[in-house]
Amino acid sequence: MKVLVAVKRVPITGGKMVLTDDGQAIQTRHLGFTISPHEECGVEEAVRIVEAQGGEVVVLTLGPPEAEDQIRECMALGADRGIHLVTGEEWDAQATASALVEAIDAEGPFDLILFGNESADASGFQVGIRVAYALGLPVVTGVKAIAAADGRARLEQEVPGGRDVYEVPLPALVTVKEGLNLPRYPSVPAKLRAKNKPVDSKPVTRPESKLEKLRLVVPEGQGKQAEILGNGPGAAPAVVEVMQKLGVA
Amino acid sequence: MAAALAVAGVLFAKRALFLWRLVRKAKPTERFDDIPGRVENEVTIVLGQKKLFQRLLPGVMHALIFWGFIVLLPTIVMALVGAVNRDWSFPWLGAQGWFMALVDVFILSVLTGIVMAVWIRKVVRPRRFDGSHLGEADLILALIALVVLTLLGWHASRIAAGMNEWPAGASFLSNWVSGAIPFPRVSERFFNWAHVLVILTFLVYLPYSKHLHIATAAINVFFSRTRNRGRLEPLRFDVPDDEMRLGVNTIEQLTWKEMVDSFSCTECGRCQDVCPAYNTGELQPIVGNGVPEEMVWDCVTCGACVHECPVSIEHIDHIVDLRRDLVMMQSSFPQEAESMLRDVERIGNPWGKPQGDRASWAEDLGVRVLEEGEEPPEILYWVGCAAAYDERARVAAESTVKLLQKAGVDFAILGARESCTGDPARRMGNEYVFQAYAEQNVATLNDARVTKIVASCPHCLNSLGKEYPDFGGQYEVMHHTQLLAELVRDGMLSPARGESEITYHDSCYLARHNDVRDEPRELVAAVGKPVEMPRNGKRTFCCGAGGAHMWMEERGTPINEERVREASETGAETLAVACPFCTVMLDDGVRSMGKQLRVVDVSTLLVESMED
Amino acid sequence: MSVALFFEANDELSAQALTLAQSLGEVRAFSFEGPYAPAAWASALIDAAGDDDIVGPGSERGNEVLAHVAAQLDLPFAANVTDVRGDEVTRQRWGGTLLEEARIHAPRKLLTAAPFAFAPSDSLLQAETLRPDVSGAVQVTEHIAPDTGGKVSLADAKVVVSGGRGVGSSEGFAILEELAALLDGAVGCSRVVTSAGWRPHTDQVGQTGTKVSPDLYIACGISGATQHIAGCKGAKKVLAINADPEATIFAHADYAVVGDLHEVVPAITAELKKVKG
Repeated sequence: MKVLVAVKRVPITGGKMVLTDDGQAIQTRHLGFTISPHEECGVEEAVRIVEAQGGEVVVLTLGPPEAEDQIRECMALGADRGIHLVTGEEWDAQATASALVEAIDAEGPFDLILFGNESADASGFQVGIRVAYALGLPVVTGVKAIAAADGRARLEQEVPGGRDVYEVPLPALVTVKEGLNLPRYPSVPAKLRAKNKPVDSKPVTRPESKLEKLRLVVPEGQGKQAEILGNGPGAAPAVVEVMQKLGVA
Repeated sequence: MAAALAVAGVLFAKRALFLWRLVRKAKPTERFDDIPGRVENEVTIVLGQKKLFQRLLPGVMHALIFWGFIVLLPTIVMALVGAVNRDWSFPWLGAQGWFMALVDVFILSVLTGIVMAVWIRKVVRPRRFDGSHLGEADLILALIALVVLTLLGWHASRIAAGMNEWPAGASFLSNWVSGAIPFPRVSERFFNWAHVLVILTFLVYLPYSKHLHIATAAINVFFSRTRNRGRLEPLRFDVPDDEMRLGVNTIEQLTWKEMVDSFSCTECGRCQDVCPAYNTGELQPIVGNGVPEEMVWDCVTCGACVHECPVSIEHIDHIVDLRRDLVMMQSSFPQEAESMLRDVERIGNPWGKPQGDRASWAEDLGVRVLEEGEEPPEILYWVGCAAAYDERARVAAESTVKLLQKAGVDFAILGARESCTGDPARRMGNEYVFQAYAEQNVATLNDARVTKIVASCPHCLNSLGKEYPDFGGQYEVMHHTQLLAELVRDGMLSPARGESEITYHDSCYLARHNDVRDEPRELVAAVGKPVEMPRNGKRTFCCGAGGAHMWMEERGTPINEERVREASETGAETLAVACPFCTVMLDDGVRSMGKQLRVVDVSTLLVESMED
Repeated sequence: MSVALFFEANDELSAQALTLAQSLGEVRAFSFEGPYAPAAWASALIDAAGDDDIVGPGSERGNEVLAHVAAQLDLPFAANVTDVRGDEVTRQRWGGTLLEEARIHAPRKLLTAAPFAFAPSDSLLQAETLRPDVSGAVQVTEHIAPDTGGKVSLADAKVVVSGGRGVGSSEGFAILEELAALLDGAVGCSRVVTSAGWRPHTDQVGQTGTKVSPDLYIACGISGATQHIAGCKGAKKVLAINADPEATIFAHADYAVVGDLHEVVPAITAELKKVKG
């Protein structure tokens, strides 16, 4: 099985959003970076499938030079190769999808392509679907269980009131959600080996943006003034009063 | 007899060679620093039996036997040669009356020791022997008794047969016994051979038994840490795969010191007696059982075991090496600790809170945050993650800066540029993450040209002061109580003594691993009436947070509650601490037990005493 | 100017999307009957919409269908929009804890309405029902109902009692379960808790977990990371219980109790029992 997982480098935000002076990005000076939890589960799933059935896992990302750290993290989980489309700018969903499609086409056919359901930051919900259309692949989103073998995949999508099951032929594109599995904690030898696995980097130029980001804004309501009902267990009567007022007690 | 000697010699040599090879093939460790200190340890711990005397009765018991055997060593040579040549006498020494008198005295001392040992084992039956090989211990005591009894018999027989080279009257005991010896010439041979046979049996048995310590203990003591007790030895990641050692999974991966440790254990169980995890949980005994996996994770790295061990075994090295393999090779460790490791790795602190918030606690306090490129302050106050992110630990930092400001000390904090020292990762066995942070922090500190650091957290103190030098970070590191005590002594701070009774809890990483015991006590005495807990100073009892336990779940009775119980039994109203982890753990314990005890950092007590 | 709306009956998010759609023009609403097959539904919606802007609810399904529409038309799609001004939109990033103002460069707009960013419209709506032919399309073949054992589901609960790192262990959740049971609510948790293995991922509230919209969300021992806040933004009111008066969660809460949840939660339970008799 040849499996591709697309990932995106995102900052680990804390308790509040702080923007750069020009309002164009999050202030990341003291933030750590990672890939979205959805994507991490995707990489883990890909590695498990290939461990069971043979093949290879390729990680693809469009991002800054530092995004290679994230590729190496995926390799520590077990991915075999990386493709790094290097850019210093932020791309909208449509543009991202075309760049990814071009890279995937150049790599040759994959049996399974995994995306996170939505990226942690831009949360556009669409890159995976666009890529699927461009490649002519069936696509199922929000998946929390995958059983892929013998040219077919059985997928479970979480919906209110349970799970919907889809069955598709491979190759297919699936967007996954955290909860799909519990990603392993990589061993140190795996981390060290990851440093030497091959990454194919190439710079890419961003096309004109059709959904053009003008600026970022921190919404009001962060910095609400909470009404203090009390300290410690003594606040219980006040709490119950509020509950009665809200009609829940 | 000669044949017996030869056979015994060969058997002993074979086994000794096997053990020696194990040590030769074992992994390296650097144990040749501070030769003067090591020699001092040989004198005080081996000859002086210092650690054994930490428990009086067993200490006396052992000293009597041990010193006895030092004196009796020449008699073993005399017996071995005498067994094949009855007329041989040890040159000069064999004719000395005073020496033979000494021998008799020490025969008695050994026998007294044996009687005491038997009494301890059969009547007192301390719990620390749980899990040890009791039968083997009895056998050894019997053999020792036989050695001295056959020696006595031999000397008495020689006197009775008129073969003594020394004045009979000098050896009062042998002389007295000689009257009862039948067939003196026969008995003399009998006892000589019996004595030699017992010795040879012992010799052959020795390298298979726990009594091997008589050969290895002196060596083990010599090669133990003399200083930097809190420092773990770093691993190397930049070596080829076949040379890389990431902890211990099989015997071959033990360092030679760890190997000698395992040869030196006599199953005395003192370590077990003082282990907080063993005493509050449902553990299998350390002794006699290898190391069960739960115990690997239950250890809080408090070092009580190391402190107590008479043969200087360093248990923490073993436990951490086992953890290193479990964490770094097998990714097998308590799940609740996984987020802590990921947070340290990805974000920079074990709380997983934003690094940018590190100086929030200090915002309204007028504390200088050292920015890149600025002139360094005289003292860098290393706040630590706990004080930055935990509301109870924060109080000590707030108090400390108030005091430093009041005394006019030139200090600053690093703010968001301070990352976790990596201590929790290292104690959990994740040496890889630890080293990444050590290197990062050393780079930050060196770029900032920091030379003097004050830390409130004993774990930070230990890493910065004792472990960072391995990564290029040489700083003068002191604990906040040390600086505050100095300021009080110099009159820069004038606390007022109150009437309340305060009991001070020694943190393991402060009192045991880093020898800071007096300064916090000075401060406590300056603000109130100190009351000591039974387990204090170097024999303190852990709060339960060490060894990354702050982030793990507890099995069995919580360690912190055991300590809170001890504290409340002193009758004091205030439990003074000097560590953010102890603050949180003991406060948790006070709440869960509903005790009337106020847990507060020494620095806060100082501030309060100056406010009134 | 007419606007096509992808509408699901009895769905509060669709009612909110209707408000957004109405602000853009005359609304023609379309509902679907038959098996869910997003590609086929999207094609049908495209045919029905003509050249109109297309709006949908910010639900999983709404975002999926609109994304299919966008892929089929190769046009930009702004998901989870909170405001529209001509060809400029404000949309949610990071689960709603950050907003993006963007300009759409396209002849028509494809939008979904961010949940709870718009008041639900109470207009009576005549929605046209589409029944596309889904044969051959990727579609649902089976539905598995969860075995919740009769308990209220997190997504539907009117009250959620949620626990974070402060709870300390899986056993610690017993007091939260008791309170939740008393209020006919559900128990949720933060990501730290699921990572530690104390609760299953299905209990996780957050950007990558379940997004809840109860009348009251009680956050116990939760520090308030943005990815968690993103999961409970839909709550009408938030009560935060935390021992740390500086905890970030208090900036996102309507009511605050500063204290140890192990003392406060049982006290609330006791008080409730007293009051309920």
